[in-house]
Amino acid sequence: MPKTRVGVFVCHCGNNIGGVVRVPDVVEYARTLPNVTYAEDNLYTCSEEGLSSIKDQIAKQGLNRVVVASCTPRTHEPLFKRACEEAGLNKYLFEFVNIREHCSWVHMHDPAMATEKAKELVRMGVAKACHLEPQQEFESDVFPAALVIGGGVAGMSAALGLANQGIQVHLVEKEQELGGLIRGVQTLFPTEQDTDELLRPLAERVKAHAHISVSLGSEVENVSGFIGDFDVSVRADGEVEGLRVGTIIVATGAEELKPVDLYRYGELPNVVTQLEFEEKFKSGGEIPRSVAIINCVGARIPKRTYCGRFCCATAIKNAIWIKERDPQARVYVLHRDVMAYGVEIEEFYRRAMELGVRFLRYDVESPPEVLGEDRAKAVKVQHQLMGKEVILPVDMVVLTTPLVARDDNGKLSKMLKVPLGSDGFFLEAHLKLRPIEFSTDGVYVCGAARYPSNIPESVSQAYAAAAKASIPIREGLVRVEAITAFCDERTCSACGNCVEACPFGAIELQQGRFGRTAHVNTAQCKGCGCCVAACPSGAMQQRGFSDMQVLSMIGALAEEMTGGVG
Amino acid sequence: MVSGSDSPGNGFEPKILVFACNWCSYAGADLAGVSRLQMPPNCRVIRVMCSARVRPEFVITALSKGLDGVLVLGCHPGDCHYSEGNYFTRRRGLLLRKLLEFVGIEPERFQVRWVSASEGAKFAETVEQVTEQIRALGPNRPRSEVLGTEPGDR
Amino acid sequence: MQDKLQEVVRKLLAEGAVDYFIGYCQSSQPYRAVPCFVSDESEVGKLVWGPLCGQNLSKYVLRANELDGKVGILLKGCDTRAVVELIKQHQIERDKIVAIGVPCQGQVDHRKLGKILGVSLEQVTSVQDVGDEFLVTVGEETKKVRKEEVLLDKCFRCKHPSAFGYDVTLGDVVPFTVDADAGEYAAVEELEALPIEERRAFWRKQFERCIRCNACREACYACYCKECLFERKTPRWLAAPPLLSENEMYHLIRAVHLAGRCVDCGECERVCPMNIPLGSLYRKIQKDVAELFDYEAGMEMDTVPPLVNFELDDQDPFM
Repeated sequence: MPKTRVGVFVCHCGNNIGGVVRVPDVVEYARTLPNVTYAEDNLYTCSEEGLSSIKDQIAKQGLNRVVVASCTPRTHEPLFKRACEEAGLNKYLFEFVNIREHCSWVHMHDPAMATEKAKELVRMGVAKACHLEPQQEFESDVFPAALVIGGGVAGMSAALGLANQGIQVHLVEKEQELGGLIRGVQTLFPTEQDTDELLRPLAERVKAHAHISVSLGSEVENVSGFIGDFDVSVRADGEVEGLRVGTIIVATGAEELKPVDLYRYGELPNVVTQLEFEEKFKSGGEIPRSVAIINCVGARIPKRTYCGRFCCATAIKNAIWIKERDPQARVYVLHRDVMAYGVEIEEFYRRAMELGVRFLRYDVESPPEVLGEDRAKAVKVQHQLMGKEVILPVDMVVLTTPLVARDDNGKLSKMLKVPLGSDGFFLEAHLKLRPIEFSTDGVYVCGAARYPSNIPESVSQAYAAAAKASIPIREGLVRVEAITAFCDERTCSACGNCVEACPFGAIELQQGRFGRTAHVNTAQCKGCGCCVAACPSGAMQQRGFSDMQVLSMIGALAEEMTGGVG
Repeated sequence: MVSGSDSPGNGFEPKILVFACNWCSYAGADLAGVSRLQMPPNCRVIRVMCSARVRPEFVITALSKGLDGVLVLGCHPGDCHYSEGNYFTRRRGLLLRKLLEFVGIEPERFQVRWVSASEGAKFAETVEQVTEQIRALGPNRPRSEVLGTEPGDR
Repeated sequence: MQDKLQEVVRKLLAEGAVDYFIGYCQSSQPYRAVPCFVSDESEVGKLVWGPLCGQNLSKYVLRANELDGKVGILLKGCDTRAVVELIKQHQIERDKIVAIGVPCQGQVDHRKLGKILGVSLEQVTSVQDVGDEFLVTVGEETKKVRKEEVLLDKCFRCKHPSAFGYDVTLGDVVPFTVDADAGEYAAVEELEALPIEERRAFWRKQFERCIRCNACREACYACYCKECLFERKTPRWLAAPPLLSENEMYHLIRAVHLAGRCVDCGECERVCPMNIPLGSLYRKIQKDVAELFDYEAGMEMDTVPPLVNFELDDQDPFM
């Protein structure tokens, strides 16, 4: 048996780790650990330099295990694994130790303890690494079709992005028409064009495309399977159709918040939301002579801390719309800040002011009050700059509310096994480094389903999602990560616990060389480990998370708890 | 040196093992890091794919080997990436907690909590709370009675 | 009853219905019977039945897996629970067994008997069931002992037989009832009522005495694993020496493995040479499994073991 030769690479991550953890001490400590042949520190282990060093040392030192102590495996593990592979080392002989998110970043005021903790985490990582074994990945075919859930701007753009590559797309839309949220919008900012000018050609291209099959009035009812092979049930008109796809894009959008209990919405007939304003007045109603638009309604408050992002632009758009049709109209925009980011929106804002729209700033602590008995007659507001209360007589109050997550996100998220964030929108794999995709392979998200976004943003994200969703389909196969379960049939007693425990039905009792024993179908195994924990005998194990490996980490951690015995 | 002494309130700092599942709680822990939420340095995380991988024997072993506490973190029931894993974690947790208490191990030393990927703050709070609870209890066992060998000697 | 038993077994062997029969026979220690395996009609006379047959013979049916034919076995009502579990856990097929049921009126716990009599059990020459009492012959004397004073703990909880259907019965196999004050989980509740430090001290004292002879594991029907977790080298879960930390791990891990499987046969406590009150530990497991998951091992044929099962509304104190 070749001797275990572990290489440890401890990252400074610039100042992120090095500024708190004494990285050289950790390196020195690593050198004292059993089986560690080599240890070094890097400024950025993930840099070209760092990766080269890993590859060089694997060759030079004859390393057969590599441990990197840096950030989180959830971002850079594939990168380091690839480096090992390029150096001829099986990538499953690599172990990642998190000394940044779990250490330097959270113990900033205690560098001494952070350093001790980093050393222990490295000790645990090295202990596990010593018990890692080379693995081969299982390859699985990708069915060459994609599902796009949602036929709004994002969904349609994503569908076209895929279809234009020759990929078959199933577009499933809940409503009876394509268009999503912007169907309720009459004109778009900052161009002020009719929505129809954008929507109609887009929908037409989608409907006409040879590679897109559109299902209107349809809902996804069930999803099973995994990347490359999803089985989807779609319900339409009481009938259920089965689809087989390789990847899925979530483009289900969001909803305008209806601000019940705020500013007497629902009580007074002339207090409306922006979408309601669009619907009632922009297609031919009497233009109000005097309007107060209140921004940040139900947004940037303790209950809902986020900013709706483009609703300011919407408010400005509608303020301009009123002024253009009636220059004499009095239009007030009561805001807490004006979010005028993006292309040409700042100019749009200026134009509104030039047209005579009055922008008034109010404090979150003293929100405006809508006055009137059976109709809104005025709005009372503490004008922040003037430092006094003003009363604005109005014919209408328009409430600018943010988009909120759809109620059925929960159901869809469970079906697809993707998480929701704290505000109910879909949560991507990583805040910064992995937008558009989820931790769950093969599922992607774009548009307002992930966060309130305007049309250019939604379309860009849709293009990104289509690009990502096409990759597995183009490659034709996916490699299943070799963290699957397997049974040592020699020592299995066929008690059947694992069969019951497996959430995916991937295990069966079969007659084999050693009698009746449990057998795992690797293609179906998702690597959860339920079966391993249920096996009283220890015959069932999980590659990369075996009992031996986990116990070695527990043992390494508890090492200094020992005393005089033994 | 983490464990300063053998009795509570005497500079004793507990050492706590944490199991965190890849999809929810480990991500939540990462988010706590990204958000720079500061917390006591007593916890050591072992990543597993699902909290259901955590067999009760791990918890028992950790406590028998002298670690002062074990915290198992998983996805909220209903949100498990593998659909059902955390339901098993829940059952095992219920049973094990009672068994440990029956043989005289304080229930605070073994806890199960649900932390989602977006709950960085909850992760930090949990670490803070559990560390404080176990610190107040004192060391799990005197060093003198913990064996100095490890399973599967190299 | 004993004669009837021997007659039935003789017939089974003669007809070739079973390859051999598992029952009880007298041992060199008259205060208890021991398991015996009879493969020839000539040996049938050894078989006994009485109040000294407390041992659970169920585990022996597994030997039938090595035979082409069947084995016969004498099963008290409580013993059938273990067989039900063995069938559910895929260890034996029902049709490999010819089960004889026998009405049982309680079995003697030899430790309790020794205590009551105050003499060495070696002097006991016979124990007879006479209804509410046992007639115990000690040397030349014959004493009457009230059943409640010497019964195995599990006899107070008799609610058997289970769903198991016998092939032959030697009479009505019905639950045995005895008036007893003790509640369903009395021993457990007594310990639960202690302050936690006292409980810790209690169990430490008990586990310290363990010599890791593994008798409890060998006697337990559920410990049939081809390779026990504790025998493995990679990983090695326990160090060999019977130190407190290792013993604790052994007993707690075995208790968890028995959750949803323990059928309250009491063998573990009966065979422990150090008199560790394993019964209390395993009753605790049974109590929690019953209260938390509404499950009792060995009572029904088609239920799923509780720790590989779940309900959406399981208790959840873990928010």
